[in-house]
Amino acid sequence: MFYAQLLVNGLVQGLVIGLAALSITLVFGIARFPNAATGDFMTFGAYAALSAHKATGSIAMGGLAAIIATGVISLLAYLAVFRRLAERSVVALLVASIGIAFFIRAVLGVAFGHSQQVFQVPLSRPYVFGSVRITPLDLQLAAVALAALALVFAILYLTPIGRQMRAVADNRDLARVSGIRPDRVMIALWLLAGSVAGVAGMMLGIKTIVTPEFGWEMLLPAFTAAILGGIGSPVGAVVAGLLLGVVQEVSTPFVGFTYKIALAFIIMLAVLLVRPRGLFGRLEGAR
Amino acid sequence: MSLEIHDISKAFGGFRALDGVRLTIETGSLFGIIGPNGAGKSTLFSVVSGFARADEGQIRLDGQSLDSLSPPARARAGMVRTFQVPREFRHLTVRENLMAAAPKQTGESLLGLFFRPGRVREEEGAIAERVNQTIRFLKLSAVADQPSGKLSGGQKKLLELGRALMVEPRLILLDEPFAGVNPVLIGEIMERITELNTRGIGFAIIEHDLEALTRLVPQLAVMDRGKVLAQGAPQAVLDDPLVREAYLGGVS
Repeated sequence: MFYAQLLVNGLVQGLVIGLAALSITLVFGIARFPNAATGDFMTFGAYAALSAHKATGSIAMGGLAAIIATGVISLLAYLAVFRRLAERSVVALLVASIGIAFFIRAVLGVAFGHSQQVFQVPLSRPYVFGSVRITPLDLQLAAVALAALALVFAILYLTPIGRQMRAVADNRDLARVSGIRPDRVMIALWLLAGSVAGVAGMMLGIKTIVTPEFGWEMLLPAFTAAILGGIGSPVGAVVAGLLLGVVQEVSTPFVGFTYKIALAFIIMLAVLLVRPRGLFGRLEGAR
Repeated sequence: MSLEIHDISKAFGGFRALDGVRLTIETGSLFGIIGPNGAGKSTLFSVVSGFARADEGQIRLDGQSLDSLSPPARARAGMVRTFQVPREFRHLTVRENLMAAAPKQTGESLLGLFFRPGRVREEEGAIAERVNQTIRFLKLSAVADQPSGKLSGGQKKLLELGRALMVEPRLILLDEPFAGVNPVLIGEIMERITELNTRGIGFAIIEHDLEALTRLVPQLAVMDRGKVLAQGAPQAVLDDPLVREAYLGGVS
């Protein structure tokens, strides 16, 4: 039953990874580069949520702040940097995103200091199912993550802009000659990718401690999930995120806490070597 | 009302793909473009649709200059192209392919989506209805909800025509609509083109199948090495000695 507990912990952790991976895979599928600033978008979201939570005492307001602020910072990064480099190589965009990552981290360090901060959430009695304990907070976080996922998937698969985003991901040149305006698609993409990362950052912040570096450290597991799920596949990213979260938690008794991050790295290498298009992948989407 | 192509030149490195092309195509007409491989026909479509930038020259559609317009803006101005090797949004269904190409959607932005949901729903209804009509017109009903990547070559050509129709164009540039299509479907595509033309939509058609093309168009131009050699009624053009020399290799 010990493992059942780890499974539950892993699922909550997996939702965080899945959201981050979704942000990465959306950007990769549509803007066609690996966005190394995703981790720091998460950090930004966590601090935005932290500030709003301190000011209002409401987790919901924290969430709203994370969604809006991170969406906006992500859009600004696009307008100020990524749009100007759109016709350049993937490497140029990747390096630019690393630059933006450092920039955000530095600004957050100056603004909030480098000491660890935590969300002051009241302790509550966990629900006990057999030997598995689930805190109400975990349930709330899971609900928030699922709601965010539902919203993103509804936008992608049920709305005009989602249809156009998938069209651009599919064939950008064809989209342009068909009268689809890539600028609009890109604005929606960056708002969504930022908001999703912001929610992930807030969740991680509530579960752990917030420092200016903590999002960056999530980048490896998030990339692993994006690759494992098949780069460019939103469903794959989320499923792989959950899988990775569970595997990391369940393996902790065997490999020890310190090495659970290494596990993500090993899985990423294995996927790249054995099945580069991932679980749900379509490699041609990732030219 | 016409598409005016004025002294367009385009070079790739040292190769002059287009060398001062001058052509006027009536927007409501059926107009053929023929020429040997490498004559610059597809490049001309690329330049006209904004896909590639011309080095020199001007393009006007019904008097409006297109030179500074982006490809999506040119499409929305009423002129769409298709491709020699048909392209489609392969992971989207046939229906989604067509819906994605409908212009002026409020739901094209997140703001519109969240703040004008009623209007978005209304438009979606209207677009869905137009898409249904288009699917019926093109006889693609059986595959409407299949991923378009799974269609046959001929069906993909029809889908391209459908996607072009969704932007309510005045002029469609068709790049080899009959290439690789079985004869039955060729007849089908020709019928659709003729019918659309009676509704006022013009077509400029690049085609190697001369026999099919001359049945379809009253006017055609011959291109060779980036230049227009001759233009006029099919028979007159094909009898032109310059054309015979370049295109038919001088065989009499």
